[in-house]
Amino acid sequence: MSSYIHEFESKVKPKDYYDKVYEELSKVNSRLNAFNVIIKPEQDGVPLSIKDNICVKGVESTASSKILRGYIPPFNATVVDRIFKTKRFSFLGKTNMDEFGFGSFGINCSKPARNPLDEDRVAGGSSSGAAIATALLKYHVAIAESTGGSISSPAAFCGVIGFTPTYSVISRYGLIDYANSLDKIGVMARSADDIRIMLDITKGKDPRDPTSTNTKITDLHHKKLVVIDELLDKVDDKIMSQFNMFIDKLKGLGYTVENISLKEIELSIPAYYLIAMAEASTNLAKFTGFKYGFKAEDFSKPYNDFFTEAREEFGTEAKRRIILGTFIRSASVRDKYYSKSLIIRGELIDRLSKILKDAFIISPTMPILPPKISEADSMSPVQNYAADILTIPANLCGLPHISFPYSYSGSLPLSAQIVGSQFNDYGVISFASEWEKNFKYKFKYNIGEI
Amino acid sequence: MKIGLEIHVALPTKSKLFCNCSTEPIEEPNVNICPICMGFPGSKPSLNEEAIVIAKSIAKTLNCKIRDKISFVRKVYFYPDLPKSFQITQLQESIGFDGALEIDNEKTIAIRRVQIEEDPAKIIRGENYSLLDFNRSGIPLVEIVTEPDIQSEDELKSFIFTLKALLYYLGIDIDREIKSDLNISLGKERVEIKNITGTKNLIEAARYEIDRQTRLINKGMEPVKETRSYDEKERVTKTSREKESDEEYGYIYEPDLPEYNIENYSIKGTIDPIKKARELSDKYSYSSKTILEAIAFDRHALDLIEKNQDKYHFDSLMQAVTEIKRFKLNEIDDTSLRILIEEIEGGFQIDEDTIKSIVKHEKVRHDELESSRIDDEIRKFIDENPEVLKRYVKNKKLADYVAGEIIKRYKSKPKEVLKRTIEILNSMINQN
Repeated sequence: MSSYIHEFESKVKPKDYYDKVYEELSKVNSRLNAFNVIIKPEQDGVPLSIKDNICVKGVESTASSKILRGYIPPFNATVVDRIFKTKRFSFLGKTNMDEFGFGSFGINCSKPARNPLDEDRVAGGSSSGAAIATALLKYHVAIAESTGGSISSPAAFCGVIGFTPTYSVISRYGLIDYANSLDKIGVMARSADDIRIMLDITKGKDPRDPTSTNTKITDLHHKKLVVIDELLDKVDDKIMSQFNMFIDKLKGLGYTVENISLKEIELSIPAYYLIAMAEASTNLAKFTGFKYGFKAEDFSKPYNDFFTEAREEFGTEAKRRIILGTFIRSASVRDKYYSKSLIIRGELIDRLSKILKDAFIISPTMPILPPKISEADSMSPVQNYAADILTIPANLCGLPHISFPYSYSGSLPLSAQIVGSQFNDYGVISFASEWEKNFKYKFKYNIGEI
Repeated sequence: MKIGLEIHVALPTKSKLFCNCSTEPIEEPNVNICPICMGFPGSKPSLNEEAIVIAKSIAKTLNCKIRDKISFVRKVYFYPDLPKSFQITQLQESIGFDGALEIDNEKTIAIRRVQIEEDPAKIIRGENYSLLDFNRSGIPLVEIVTEPDIQSEDELKSFIFTLKALLYYLGIDIDREIKSDLNISLGKERVEIKNITGTKNLIEAARYEIDRQTRLINKGMEPVKETRSYDEKERVTKTSREKESDEEYGYIYEPDLPEYNIENYSIKGTIDPIKKARELSDKYSYSSKTILEAIAFDRHALDLIEKNQDKYHFDSLMQAVTEIKRFKLNEIDDTSLRILIEEIEGGFQIDEDTIKSIVKHEKVRHDELESSRIDDEIRKFIDENPEVLKRYVKNKKLADYVAGEIIKRYKSKPKEVLKRTIEILNSMINQN
């Protein structure tokens, strides 16, 4: 059996099961900062964590931002409603993240996340807590979210499976927006089969999210894998040698691998960041310090001064993206940056869709091993953004992708990412399922083992 | 003189533009609200398609070209009444464009575009505090933007009247707030008067501004490019404190709403009261203006005229409509109408008592004098007012006056009284 969900459901749990899980988790969490809120489950289901930018009714949801401290949504996100309705899961808490999703390492927040496999290293981001929780708990699924690689990156660094669906497959209602045309709610788990179960529960048209769709999801098993050379150019040599061995292994399993050149793929980073920052700066405009979350106190000030004071609460990266995003949207440069980026996105969707007609695109998930927290802290914004080169194309184009470990370098996992054509979400999950038949994932922690 | 308008009208939908909150006007603040129209983090807009149907109908009525596909944008600015700090509105892909509205037989005002957008909340200003009422936040609006084709105050009035009449027949409550921005330039530079509430203020603001700019020009000065506001109490326009600069709203596409294909959306069947008035005027040789005044904001009157035009003389029918409006008879059945028209055609004055009888289908009672007594009363009146006879020799119309006095005293049949008066007056002249 390769589904931890099914395994858990078939087992008899000790009476104090959740108390123990809660205790152990709380203890580890004080070091690793996986959760912003831990809740002792009231229900007898599979432990479930939810990224802090997804609204759960009555539970503080801050997207790890100080400006949202105290925001208690009066509604559930649609994914949350759909999962709770099954009564198969026990809500364990809200997971830590880079503030509003702005980051690739999980350190742009008040409590930087630590990698459970090497606590001096980053856990990846922005869904840092979701990946750590998955790496810690034997029986657990994480609801996470990706805009430019926020599921793949931490899943890769923490050695778990991270799945990002086709844009529009899972409703975004209840998601605290980063960049609406790029945001996708997805899943992390310890097996591909668990991811398939969660996709089936959460997918489908939602009247509360007009961009959601009911398009039929396919399960196409391609034997052809495409490697885009320009992407591999950016990958660390150490990782490349391991990745090449993985490719050979896949050839042995009957896959054919084709190397292609796609120069334009390099435009995906600027296009992605321009669109993402433009949208983010409008989404963050609503935080003015008097309706929810952080509340400014001095109402005697003129409105501009009043909300400016409140907006001091944003972290550095959030401020950077507001300033850049506002600039990108300004009339004098909008066509040059924003409009052009939209054209590039459309162009890349066309190119990648052609490649993906009869193939998957394969690459390492991250070009580097998880850096030490101190190293990541001293990286420039541009170096930071460059770390997303492998995850951004699929995210920019709204294509389904999955990240899973294929090898280990000491205690650290090496992960690969498979990208499928639009709506071939089951296809990429099936690829990982097939891989799991030949490869055993290693987990350092197994909290909640029965 | 060039005048252009941006007019905001609330659409008569049951729920708000992007959520299910009621649009019913309500006294108590912050009742018709939800996470969506409050802009709570995590909430998302869902388009109310009823608003599209109405907006499309307005665009059609204003002879606009209609887009098959529409999309929305975010217009970003910081103001306390704007919950998301951006307004969801339309820009290039507005629902209607290149329209025209004929305000009289000669003049046409070009319509640049018709777009859908959400209303912000309402700010209630106190002496040293401000309160926010989000009941209005998210109410669907259409913005109608004209070209600067209006060239006089009369044309402005005529445009507003025509527009209001058309909107009335689309079921839009024209008494509900209409907010406008008025662009007006008599000189080279454009002056914009922002956020004028109601059409009465709009016309007054225009009148004031025309006068102000005329005086400046007469003194050899040039009105400067600026934004002004209209002070309702002092009835003047004033320079706004806000700086005149090209506004920077940082527009981007609204990424939470897809492009909508509205090709198959229906258009509400509507009536053009101006065309109707013209048709009736041509058919019955009756003043088009009078007909339009009667039906412009009165669907009931139009229905009554259309239904009964073949049954009665058109003049009598129009008089009946006037009386019905005067006595605010909202419903009138066929029998009552028939009695009313008989009274009108009999030349009787219509008063409260008459109306009461008509509504009850009772025959209207007239204190009729016998023919012989009519003669007596006429003679008596002439005896008491001997100058009447002298003046009648010069002016035969004086008979109307005498008859009128008799009718006033005794509710007699007017035609008969007049006939007898003339006969008596003539015989008296002949005798002398």
